Amino acid sequence: MEAKPEEKAEIEAPEIEYVSYGGEHHLPLIMNLVDQELSEPYSIFTYRYFVYLWPQLSFLAFHKGKCVGTVVCKMGEHRNTFRGYIAMLVVIKPYRGRGIATELVTRSIRMMMESGCEEVTLEAEVTNKGALALYGRLGFIRAKRLFHYYLNGVDAFRLKLLFPPPRQVL
Amino acid sequence: MADKPVYEEASIDGQPSKLASIPASDTTVWADASPLLQAACAGLRDGELIHGDNFNLFAAMSALEIMDPKMDSGIVCTYYSIDEAIENGAAPIPISLDSTIDVCRTIDIMDHLLACEAAWHKGHSVAQTVFSCIYLLRLDRTAPHALLHSYCRIIRATCKAVVSVVSDARTHEEEDLFTLTYGLPLNGDGDDKCLSILNAVEETISRQLRACKATSSKRRLPEDLEPLQSNPNLEEGFCKALLCRLRFRKHFFHVLSCMKRPQGRGLESARKNIASCLTELESILKSADFLRSCFDESCEGDIDDKTTASGFEPIGFDAMLNSRLSAPTPPRAIKILSWKKAVEYFVKLLHDLDVICSYSLDPHLESLLRFVVQFQKSQPDLVARSHLQLLLVQDGKLYGRDPFFAVINKAAALPEATKNHDIQKNESFLQLGMLVMNLLKILCTNAAWQRRKLGKFLQDWRVIYVQLELAFRNEYGEVSSSSNDENTCMKIFQHILLWVEEQTFWIAFRFLILGFELELYSTGEYCMVYWYLYAVLIKLAEKTHLMMAVSHDTAKRKGKKKKDSPKDLARESRIPPAVLFLQCYICLAEGLTMMLAALRNEIPVFHGPSPFNTEQEKFVQHFELLQRACIPDHVSYLSYKESTTHARFSTLAMYNYFKDAQRIAKEVKSSFSNDPERLAELRKLEQVAEHNSVAQNVICRLGALDPSLKVSFEFSHHPFFATVVVKRS
Repeated sequence: MEAKPEEKAEIEAPEIEYVSYGGEHHLPLIMNLVDQELSEPYSIFTYRYFVYLWPQLSFLAFHKGKCVGTVVCKMGEHRNTFRGYIAMLVVIKPYRGRGIATELVTRSIRMMMESGCEEVTLEAEVTNKGALALYGRLGFIRAKRLFHYYLNGVDAFRLKLLFPPPRQVL
Repeated sequence: MADKPVYEEASIDGQPSKLASIPASDTTVWADASPLLQAACAGLRDGELIHGDNFNLFAAMSALEIMDPKMDSGIVCTYYSIDEAIENGAAPIPISLDSTIDVCRTIDIMDHLLACEAAWHKGHSVAQTVFSCIYLLRLDRTAPHALLHSYCRIIRATCKAVVSVVSDARTHEEEDLFTLTYGLPLNGDGDDKCLSILNAVEETISRQLRACKATSSKRRLPEDLEPLQSNPNLEEGFCKALLCRLRFRKHFFHVLSCMKRPQGRGLESARKNIASCLTELESILKSADFLRSCFDESCEGDIDDKTTASGFEPIGFDAMLNSRLSAPTPPRAIKILSWKKAVEYFVKLLHDLDVICSYSLDPHLESLLRFVVQFQKSQPDLVARSHLQLLLVQDGKLYGRDPFFAVINKAAALPEATKNHDIQKNESFLQLGMLVMNLLKILCTNAAWQRRKLGKFLQDWRVIYVQLELAFRNEYGEVSSSSNDENTCMKIFQHILLWVEEQTFWIAFRFLILGFELELYSTGEYCMVYWYLYAVLIKLAEKTHLMMAVSHDTAKRKGKKKKDSPKDLARESRIPPAVLFLQCYICLAEGLTMMLAALRNEIPVFHGPSPFNTEQEKFVQHFELLQRACIPDHVSYLSYKESTTHARFSTLAMYNYFKDAQRIAKEVKSSFSNDPERLAELRKLEQVAEHNSVAQNVICRLGALDPSLKVSFEFSHHPFFATVVVKRS
């Protein structure tokens, strides 16, 4: 999630099509995007774990038939809270800075909220200004700092979004 | 399925290498499984997964793809094993038959080991750093090479000593990679003699140095002494380069040994050795010019990135040999620190250790806490912090010397005589002692870990207060005590209860301000953070003031004066400087809260709403641990809203808290003329107050009128009080 890519694709916002994970045919698209952009060595089983168990939480962004972004998430019980977790979020370089990542994440979070999650969490490098700004705008706080979380010595923030209680107590 | 045996191809280029194969034995045989695997693959459609009792999708995530270098830690990169590497000449002994080159390469190994050691201290695994050295992995075979052997031995003994210190401190959970030794050979037979072995080599080289200086004009050596290497022009330079390196290791080992001595008995000796280490490090740095110039060939690439002083790549290192130790996944590629940066690391480490060794072991807890907080400002690394912790807490006593009840007794301004009172055997007092001990340990950890621990710790302090209060009420609830001992017990309870409250608010204060250092708060959250800080500071100031009044009483009773002089009375009615100091903080916190609230209320764009939650959820999250422990009582999101919802530029103009802060800071400076740390802090507070006072005036006058006004916050003058910067865009 960096600013000012060198070559920006010429697009208009309505031209981006957002699709919920639809099956095995989407898997290679997601894998290609993530393998390209992130340095983690994920096997196909890692992807399958997320998209098979929580297909409704993963989304893909298409522009003119080409997959340009994806978000992969899960949710579950964690120490007495029902919590969503954002595992991977990628938008290819020429398409950054247009709110595609925000839209992908927003759709996933909305689904988590509707599924009864109480909160959503993820980790992000403290140097990833773009991600921190994106999640900050959505209501995440920096709950913790994790010292040397990444092997290159960079710290991480644990970001958490707490949903308001379902009924307002007057 | 074919039954013919297949020999493993160990080298990457596909040529079968008989030397590297794993041969079949009497009870094993190699079989080609490729057809079987092909049949299995053909039997599954896309998206299908084999299920088993212990094998589901979650378990499948741990699957590895064999021969994928990112995943397969067993993949052979250069050599299959250490022995194979040695057989192939990866770590020759001697390094070269040319004694000059041999000496040069030995120095390169020493330098690279220093860089590896620094990389390890900084958070990488010892297997990929120090123990990437093949000579170290098979130390015994270096015996014919006295120089290399003695150096490797002391490195091994030093690593073992450092691992032991950090393990004993046991507060390194986030940095737990440090103490993992993966079964590597850290314990060597005879390593306790490493110093004498090193001394012998040092002695030899010293004689060689003396000899070459004395024979510069003669042809033959006076003694029957072999020179270090064959080029007489380079003899002096090499001797010097080696001596400073050997001496550095000797003195560093001494530092570790001295600091290990109980009750801080070795601190003075440690300081002397630290000074020697720093001198030798300087000599080591200076030797770089000589080492770079002794051969005609120069090294490629940027010299600043190199891990050796000479710039040449060291012989005898292979980080991938230990890759199987970090199974199942292979170790990530790490960058060893450059040699220059490694020296810088050790210089900093030594300075941090020196600060620890200079500490006076003050029995006053308050001074100790301030010392630890001040020490942490220089961001010491794990090794230094572990040493501090072990100095402070030994054998369940402060400095291994003062029982914690006595420490608490003093901190709570109780008379000296009560420190031996039987009440300390009471369960609650025992637990309180443990809490103080744990507080000291927590304060020695890295800031991120520290904040999380302090947050959880608040609950423990609250509970102990409640327990003590309950015990106090049960014993002395309605009794108008008459006996002396009962009076003493009552007094102990009263003082300690007050002291516990003061400590609890101090911990809460530290928890909140660490959030700024760790960058946990975004600008939109500053208002609520400063408001909460203000609430905590008010209570802290209140308890500190009470504590001082109570301690003044005790002092009076101890004192020989029978009457209060007018000076004493005047001093009593003045607010103590420590409390004024806190009031300065309070004014700044209040000023910032109100300014931020006014900005939020007047300029809607200043802080937009988020689609999924409100400010209330953020408040709940940030202050959950404080709220759960009721610190302070009667503080909630509602009270926060009530305090800030009416703030406007017009109300802001009515009172300038920053001017108050400026005034107090100026006033209280004279009371701290002997305390450089507090004076420095007051100066910073004055600067923040001055800047913010001006900013407030500008905002009040122009805020509502000028939509182009841009307000931002910087921590340029003070680590947790923001300086408000107003600009026109």
